[in-house]
Amino acid sequence: MLWLKNVQIVDPAQDLAAVRDILVKDARIFEISVTFQEEEVQAKAEGETLEVLDGEGRLLFPGLIDVHTHLREPGQEEKEDIASGAQAAVRGGFTSVLAMANTKPVIDQRALVEFVRAQGERAGLARVYPVAAVTKGMQGQELVEMMDLAAGGAVGFSDDGHGIQNAEVMRLALEYAKLSCLPIISHCEDDALAAKGVMHKGLVSARLGLKGIPSCAESVMVARDLMLAEETSGVLHLAHISCRQSVDLIRQAKKKGLNVTAEVNPHHLIFCDEDVQLTKTSLKVNPPLRTADDREALLEALLEGTIDMLATDHAPHTWEEKARPFAEAPFGINGLETSLAAVWHYLIAPGILSVKRLLEAWSLAPARRFGLAGGSLKPGQRADMVLFDPDRTLEIKIENLASKAQNTPFLHTKLQGCPVMTWVGGRLVANRE
Amino acid sequence: MLWQRKHILGLENLSKEEISHILQTAKPMKEVLLRPLKKLPTLRGKSVMHLFYEASTRTRTSFETAGKILGADTASIAVAQSSVSKGESLLDTAKTIAAMKVDLVVIRHAASGAAAFLAEYLQAGIINAGDGQHEHPTQALLDMFTMQEEFGDLTGKKVVIIGDILHSRVARSNAWGLTKMGAEVTLVGPPTLLPPEMKALGVKMSHNLDGELEGADVVMALRLQLERQQSGLFPSLREYSRLYGISSQKLKKTGRKTIVLHPGPMNRGVEISSELADSPMAKIEEQVTNGVAVRMALIYLLAGGTSNVMA
Repeated sequence: MLWLKNVQIVDPAQDLAAVRDILVKDARIFEISVTFQEEEVQAKAEGETLEVLDGEGRLLFPGLIDVHTHLREPGQEEKEDIASGAQAAVRGGFTSVLAMANTKPVIDQRALVEFVRAQGERAGLARVYPVAAVTKGMQGQELVEMMDLAAGGAVGFSDDGHGIQNAEVMRLALEYAKLSCLPIISHCEDDALAAKGVMHKGLVSARLGLKGIPSCAESVMVARDLMLAEETSGVLHLAHISCRQSVDLIRQAKKKGLNVTAEVNPHHLIFCDEDVQLTKTSLKVNPPLRTADDREALLEALLEGTIDMLATDHAPHTWEEKARPFAEAPFGINGLETSLAAVWHYLIAPGILSVKRLLEAWSLAPARRFGLAGGSLKPGQRADMVLFDPDRTLEIKIENLASKAQNTPFLHTKLQGCPVMTWVGGRLVANRE
Repeated sequence: MLWQRKHILGLENLSKEEISHILQTAKPMKEVLLRPLKKLPTLRGKSVMHLFYEASTRTRTSFETAGKILGADTASIAVAQSSVSKGESLLDTAKTIAAMKVDLVVIRHAASGAAAFLAEYLQAGIINAGDGQHEHPTQALLDMFTMQEEFGDLTGKKVVIIGDILHSRVARSNAWGLTKMGAEVTLVGPPTLLPPEMKALGVKMSHNLDGELEGADVVMALRLQLERQQSGLFPSLREYSRLYGISSQKLKKTGRKTIVLHPGPMNRGVEISSELADSPMAKIEEQVTNGVAVRMALIYLLAGGTSNVMA
């Protein structure tokens, strides 16, 4: 049994934000109280070894759940694999991750879903939940066997990495997926409008001579998918929303009562296109970093709940791939190990975002939307939890990263606020002490 | 002034003083170029490598000529025959070149930022000979040199740049450089090739050529990449030429002695009429001569020539 004393527990599911003692037994949260007496705890332990930890000055969160990661296995293990990704996850404060299906081969059959799940279990770190593709081979044409994939453990469907260009295919996907009750996760991007751009189309792309991706490449697809979700009563989740126009559309859709949720990536809340430089490929990401005004709209949407979730869009790439001229480097930011600390540093510490909203958006809402364990520290729940030190500085260095890749814009910087211990099912899986 | 820069990556970050210094240095270089025996010992023992990832005749030849007149050893990597076509990355190619201990690398590459990328990884000085749609500083410098030969001080001179501004590194470098030198720049083109975000360059923009010609001292026509039509950026060469092509007839609207520039190679009959290209108003061949002089000045400044130019 673990007895964690004097720790500030923040758990929006119980409306709790107070210093408490917490007991963990048999992989689950056992009891929370203002304080426990030694004899009392010994009795509850029923002879089990008692481990006592003082959490003074620290916070305890339900483990974060990241609904958008690319773990690259199978097929691109030089960038990341499920074990290294899961290790990065728990070091970053994530106890569950959804792994996207754009691997090689694409996760479009039950055996592949089961493989991803099995690799996650073998690693024994974060819980790894596979997302299956929407269409076979992500070709945007024929639907996958959704029910078989769901039976194999898929928790959602997405062709993430590509937008589904054919509106009829998207409509059919939303319609058919109702059988499974699982969400379709849409990567909203119109290929013709994005037109092989490499950053946001605006003043900065004009100045740098880089081909721009206009905001409408996203927003027209958001509009389309919302209309299709309305018509089909389908379950829709919008990945990595990046611009004000999309936010406005989602706000209206929610007013109408559509079954839609949306996520935002930390980098879109922290950076904007003005931060992009020709030699800074760590900021090359899709959807691209948009304007300061878009960033403001995203933040507002997250605060008010129009955007439901935070998600990293963890996209590891090798050093060589990113050491290229901007236009030739791949899109993507490595996020699992740095995102929580970065959001703390840039948004929580300055008082822009509350800890409660952070946990709603990065733990509770993801658990509810995708039907996952976790998201709360209520007694009886599996003990997926994170001990967080708001005062400790995390220095981002290559040798400190568990991920195989280092493509983070925070490399060689210091971030204030750091997850120090992570438990999955009551087992300590990451420890910076 | 004391020259301190190691690289020429673009004109956006150069000061007016630096640009003036380069143009000033190019003057005696041009005199050398016009001599019957054009050879200086100034950079003997220095080496310049030309790394051209895009087809180029005039820019590469101009750089090679400039280096040779100054006495430097020059070599070129023609990408089609090199290991680059075997899949070697720019970084590895650059490291290989660095290992040969060259003093200067002149690079042309289709990716914006390729020159800045090399500057980040290499010890050698880098001259940007055109990076994607970003900058082409030596072209803008030779354009300004040509204008100065005609007008002297560029303050208040009206320069109209016409064509595919969106995709033009020449227009970007000229906008930065000319603005610093005090000229009044107007960019002209159809809305698809001159979209609103081009206001980032901080100069006047217009879609109406006829309305902008009055009082123009310099009219610069940009080369129209014919494949832009296939991308739907303009409907036909015929319509483009009618709206944005320049001719002697149209240039009467300037009401003054205007010079015409073109970075080459020209599409005669598209952005510029044949008779105008061959008329005395056109300084297009002078631009080529001045290109050598300006590149001599840059190679001289970057390869450590600190003594008197004529020594």
